[in-house]
Amino acid sequence: METLKSLLHSLKRVLIIIAVIALLVLSIRVTKPDLVKLVSSFPKAKSIMGQLLRPEILGRESEKITVAQLVPVPCGSVANPEVPASGPRITVDPPCGNPKDKVQVRGYELPKNAELSIRWILPDGGLLSIKNAVTNANGELTETMELRPITAAVDGKPAQLAFEITLPEGKVVASQTLKDVLDAMFVTIFMALIATTIGTIFAVPLSFLAASNITRKGWLGSAVYYIVRAFLNIIRSYEPLVLATIFAMIVGFGSPFAGVIALSITTAASLGKMFSESVEGIDSGPIEAVTATGANKLQVVVYAVVPQIIPDFLSFTIYHWDINVRISTIIGFVGGGGIGYFLSQRINTLQYSQSGTALLAIILVVWALDFLSSEIRKQLV
Amino acid sequence: MLKVEHLTKVYPNGTVALKDLSFEVPDGEFLVIIGLSGSGKSTLLRCINRLIDPTEGKITMDGIDITAAKGAELRHIRRQIGMIFQHFNLVKRSSVMTNVLSGRLGYLNSWSSTLGYFPHEEKERALAAMTRVGIADKVHSRADALSGGQQQRVGIARTLMQEPKLILADEPVASLDPVLAHSIMQYIEKLNEEDNVSVICSLHYLDLIQRYAERVIGLKDGVKVFEGLPSEINRAKFKEIYGEEAQDMRATALV
Ligand SMILES: Nc1ncnc2c1ncn2[C@@H]1O[C@H](COP(=O)(O)OP(=O)(O)OP(=O)(O)O)[C@@H](O)[C@H]1O
Ligand SMILES: [Mg+2]
Repeated sequence: METLKSLLHSLKRVLIIIAVIALLVLSIRVTKPDLVKLVSSFPKAKSIMGQLLRPEILGRESEKITVAQLVPVPCGSVANPEVPASGPRITVDPPCGNPKDKVQVRGYELPKNAELSIRWILPDGGLLSIKNAVTNANGELTETMELRPITAAVDGKPAQLAFEITLPEGKVVASQTLKDVLDAMFVTIFMALIATTIGTIFAVPLSFLAASNITRKGWLGSAVYYIVRAFLNIIRSYEPLVLATIFAMIVGFGSPFAGVIALSITTAASLGKMFSESVEGIDSGPIEAVTATGANKLQVVVYAVVPQIIPDFLSFTIYHWDINVRISTIIGFVGGGGIGYFLSQRINTLQYSQSGTALLAIILVVWALDFLSSEIRKQLV
Repeated sequence: MLKVEHLTKVYPNGTVALKDLSFEVPDGEFLVIIGLSGSGKSTLLRCINRLIDPTEGKITMDGIDITAAKGAELRHIRRQIGMIFQHFNLVKRSSVMTNVLSGRLGYLNSWSSTLGYFPHEEKERALAAMTRVGIADKVHSRADALSGGQQQRVGIARTLMQEPKLILADEPVASLDPVLAHSIMQYIEKLNEEDNVSVICSLHYLDLIQRYAERVIGLKDGVKVFEGLPSEINRAKFKEIYGEEAQDMRATALV
């Protein structure tokens, strides 16, 4: 009898182990982990990570000068231009030609080691960018270029070959990407802030309705209590991401408004639940005591209820703002605007170093808010 | 004069906490209610200021029907009846000052007090009340930073703010050690004697009953089983009120 029992016991154990192994095998087959691919795509990963880890933060203030030279196409359409003897200048050799001819372009006395963009200023004023280049240590540059039909003179007006040079001495300033990231980050933070505020405004009355010690009195009170509680539970089961996707479809992708609506709703529901538990936990003693002094209902709430719930309410609200900032960074990916939207766009267009800036900003902001909210909450206890 | 006539309280779950109880409390009397746990002492005190609505019967104070009062009239009656609790029932996170001032809410403008404004003379009154019970140095402390004895004194100061005609004290010293118990009871006695406030106080310890009560009412299962002078409570009477099983423990206090 004893042996049978222990045998059954071991059998049960073996069955459980087999079941666990089967589940693991199944989950591996379903998720198709591909270790080979992970290793073989190492160079790609290295390149992406390299860019992500070099976030674009600083840039040069773009002070630019333009040096230009007339190029008659075809020869004789306009008189060959003179080349100044000194100063930043461009020589074209030969100075004129027909479309498809190759010409040698040289720049002299340009800013040293400067980035420049070579382009045509067409007779009608249009721009045709050719390529980017860098001047050498002497401030010189040599390029071979092909003349094109579009560069032909029109009505005695020739096209010009121009170097637009970005001066390397320009002041170091925040890059445009950084500015864009900060803008998007502010949108995200304020999206979370406004959603937390709206959510809290709705959560407070809901929490009192969902608190058994306040509402569950008589059949009407009980009905309200159960309905509000059920309502909160149903809403809480919707992920903010799902709601944000739905609202993005309604109000348009990339609009922070979609995120705000989604977050407000989930915040109202989850803070409503948290607040109601706090209200249920209050001590009825002070309420009795203040009521016994002849105070009216409003005075009782202000002097006996509010002081008991305010630290919890503030603490939960700040905590939720923190959570909302995290969620709203992600909500951007499903079209909710803010930093997430910025990041998803940069990733889709393979701009990894700009993505790196956004990621860095997200990490810093989430870390700072986490710290800030826990510090504030510590003060409230 | 407080008059309780045929008071009955049946809780919604069917518990009969008070059964056809009648008695009177002349102005300035110190009445002590005794009885086992569950005998209905708290229920009785809470019926008097209508924290609980009685099922049947009538309570009048100076001819005014408390049981029929509603709304503003009820609040008007309540502010004349102070209440002191076993667990002090202070708002723990609020300052001592705010707790004491809250005793005055029944007299103040609803809106300005809701916004936290108290006239200067009310703050003076609060300070005077605190001085009277010896806690004036604790004005700005948070209520939960005080010891039990100090908290009960805040409770008494809060009651003083009501300028009450009657004080209901529900086991005011049951959470305190014997020395503190006497000190708190003495403050209540002083109010009774100096301000001519009637007191209805529930107590558990015989030495306190003998020392402070002018008259005693004994309850058992919501029924009045004794009414008389403290000196009339002997061993036999005590056994009757508290029942056989409680005899040994309680009787020692009597000797
Ligand atoms: N809210 C309530 N609902 C139902 N029954 C209650 C309620 N409050 C008290 N009772 C019951 O009423 C009876 C009297 O209770 P009460 O609290 O008045 O007794 P007490 O004499 O104050 O006891 P103690 O010495 O323990 O404070 C008890 O049987 C108690 O269980
Ligand atoms: Mg009691």
